[in-house]
Amino acid sequence: MIDNLILGFQTALTLENVLWCFVGVLLGTVIGLLPGLGSTTGVAVLLPITFTLEPVTALIMLAGIYYGAQYGGTITSVLISTPGEAASVVTTLDGYQMATRGRAGAALAISAIGSFIAAIISLALLIALAPPLADVALQFGPVEMFAIMILGLVIVVTFQGGAFVRGAMMAVAGLLVATVGISPGTSEERFTFGNINLLSGIPFVEVMIGLFALGEVLYQIRMGAAKPIRARFKDMVITRKDVTSSMPAILRGSGIGFGLGILPGAGSTLASFMAYGIERRVSRNRAQFGKGAIEGVASPESANNAAANANFVPTLALGIPGGATTAVLLGAFTIFGLQPGPLLFETQPDLVWGLLVSFFIGNVLLLVLNLPLAPVFAQMLRIPYGYLYPIIMLTSLVGAYSVSNNMFSVWLVFVFGLLGYLLKEFDLPSAPFVLGLVLGPLFEKSLVQTSAIGQGDLTVVFRSPIALTVFALAVAAVVLPKVVAMLRSRRRRTKVDAS
Amino acid sequence: MKSRITAAAIAVVSVAALASCSSAAGQPTSPDGGFQPSDVRIVVPFAAGGGSDTSGRAIASALEDTTGATITVENREGGSGAVGYSYFLSQEGNGNYLLASETALLALPLTTEVDFDYTTFTPIMKLGDDYTLMVVPADSEFETCTDVVDAARSDGVVAAVSGAVSLDEVVFTLIEQDQDVEFDRVPFEGGSEVIAGLLGGQVEVGSLNPSEVLGQLESGDLRALCALSDERYQYEELADIPTAIEQGIDVSFAQFRGFIAPGGITDEAREYWIAAAKEFAESDAYTTYIEENLMQANAVYADEFVDYLEQNSADLEAVVGK
Repeated sequence: MIDNLILGFQTALTLENVLWCFVGVLLGTVIGLLPGLGSTTGVAVLLPITFTLEPVTALIMLAGIYYGAQYGGTITSVLISTPGEAASVVTTLDGYQMATRGRAGAALAISAIGSFIAAIISLALLIALAPPLADVALQFGPVEMFAIMILGLVIVVTFQGGAFVRGAMMAVAGLLVATVGISPGTSEERFTFGNINLLSGIPFVEVMIGLFALGEVLYQIRMGAAKPIRARFKDMVITRKDVTSSMPAILRGSGIGFGLGILPGAGSTLASFMAYGIERRVSRNRAQFGKGAIEGVASPESANNAAANANFVPTLALGIPGGATTAVLLGAFTIFGLQPGPLLFETQPDLVWGLLVSFFIGNVLLLVLNLPLAPVFAQMLRIPYGYLYPIIMLTSLVGAYSVSNNMFSVWLVFVFGLLGYLLKEFDLPSAPFVLGLVLGPLFEKSLVQTSAIGQGDLTVVFRSPIALTVFALAVAAVVLPKVVAMLRSRRRRTKVDAS
Repeated sequence: MKSRITAAAIAVVSVAALASCSSAAGQPTSPDGGFQPSDVRIVVPFAAGGGSDTSGRAIASALEDTTGATITVENREGGSGAVGYSYFLSQEGNGNYLLASETALLALPLTTEVDFDYTTFTPIMKLGDDYTLMVVPADSEFETCTDVVDAARSDGVVAAVSGAVSLDEVVFTLIEQDQDVEFDRVPFEGGSEVIAGLLGGQVEVGSLNPSEVLGQLESGDLRALCALSDERYQYEELADIPTAIEQGIDVSFAQFRGFIAPGGITDEAREYWIAAAKEFAESDAYTTYIEENLMQANAVYADEFVDYLEQNSADLEAVVGK
């Protein structure tokens, strides 16, 4: 173990590797920042330029892009309510509220701190326990994943509190839109109207850009004459109190993120939503959620970073990608002539440990980079909207086009931009819609697989103890708040009666 | 109005220029009068990092060496390859475009409404064949593929497939037709998910490309029962695996990898790429690509490739056209 770490440091701490790690996290931050360019696209696009590097160096840089993007995705979520990554969608809820109250700097700083702590915790777990954790992850087959998807949707729908029906409506709408394209399982075309661009479904990157970036711009234009947010420098800097009050949220977020991140397929988007949903229930400051609670930024940001790192558990220990970006990274392994699989730890110890240690270095670099820059980025809000909005629109549309070099993506952004505007106008939440869209295909796939395993008999879900536990949590998430509320009101009533 | 006149004028001039060009020299030519490529693009209809991408990049760098032209890889993914192939369709007649092709070229026209099939394009070269191995978890009771078939006949066997027109779906259907049994299928997306399902014990058997599963075979987490190929593999790691045919199951089916040019290109361009392809097959780059991906080297060109596609397409149709 110690030997391995020493080997890792020897590999990762060469000047060249530290340099490329820095290049990776810097590029990652920028990629996360740009709407449309997510970490998956970023890694895929930059993969060819690493072909001339040593495999270790190349992978260190590519991985840097991946977790760097998790930091960068936050910045636009907070500042202009435009998530750069699906995993940062939920950060817009409280992050943007903080920004409108002049606390953008604090929001960005806590997200950097939370991401850093989450990264360190999850890396320690990854280094110490990757192989046994991978075995645990394998216990989550289709039936268990089906249960997790249900839990995820339930938590997201219920976290809107009083707006339960609105949240549910939007999540279902997202699930419905997710049915467009070739169906998982049967490979039949659905709702494609003969358009080949729709065969692979409605891509959520374009939807996100439309709903959030374009939708927000349209809405602000309609509101008219919005003034730039006036922020005093005092409010821009994070206080000690901000950090201490966020600590429980960061730790819980890290735990949830790591737990979901090791499961192949669940990914950091679900983790960030779940962490936020749970934090909204258990946080001491829950009343402030949705109105600019710093815990509402700390928890999803820690969760998505922990999940991004935990994704490497199945990737490195089994050769099974945990998510879309790690799938591209695994592809990179084969391009460099490395055979991913359970033997990677034994056959390529310097590569694996060097890569893992480089995560530490990369996260330190990101913290050093992001913490002082947070108030600086926040100054962007001083740009008059007359200049800011055209820039947002331009980068959004270019971003959408760059996803697949296809004008179709741009038209999609316009369609969903209009939808985003209408949703804001009617006060309907767009976050559950995005989660529905992201989870839709996974949810359907696990449902089809579960029914295939049970051969049409759905009681198969009750034979898995893990699935039963997860279902119980889902039921509790719906029922408990109601029961608690009922008990409280009864107690109050009995008190009143008694007096 | 004015701009329309200008546009018309430009069109007339450019047509005239083109005409004078062609009367003078015909197609863009090399000194010896043949086709000379410039700024070549090779379309990969799948995302960067996958098997198609690997083969596209291998082809691109090898052809760069043999032709001296600059060859850029363009990933145009989506719709299980349909987006990339349909984009390629719009390059008809353009000898500077190539596409890294695989079984989707045959499967898509059979299952989805697309405007192309293999006759729409100009097939140049098939690099080789990628067969599958029938694999089970290490602690499985099955020792041979015959055991699996017998169990399917009596108790039923849960088999993982990675899509409705995937290579493994075809293989399982061929076994079903040959042996008159039926497997219970659980659909996954891609080979790595199938591996996770096998390791987690959610499915009993899977059929995977050797390159996808070698890591697990070497670590002993999965075992290969038989190779669904005509002959045993020559590779040291795979040479001990008997073929299904040896075990009395007359099934062998491979995914091909190759490259094609758009339809309607000139004979010179076609001949040029065929010659370049033949040179590629002689190179070390070719051997490295085939060996790293544990494929069976089986290069065929042009008309022979078309014959192969015709046969393979008929086989596929028998499976998915039910």
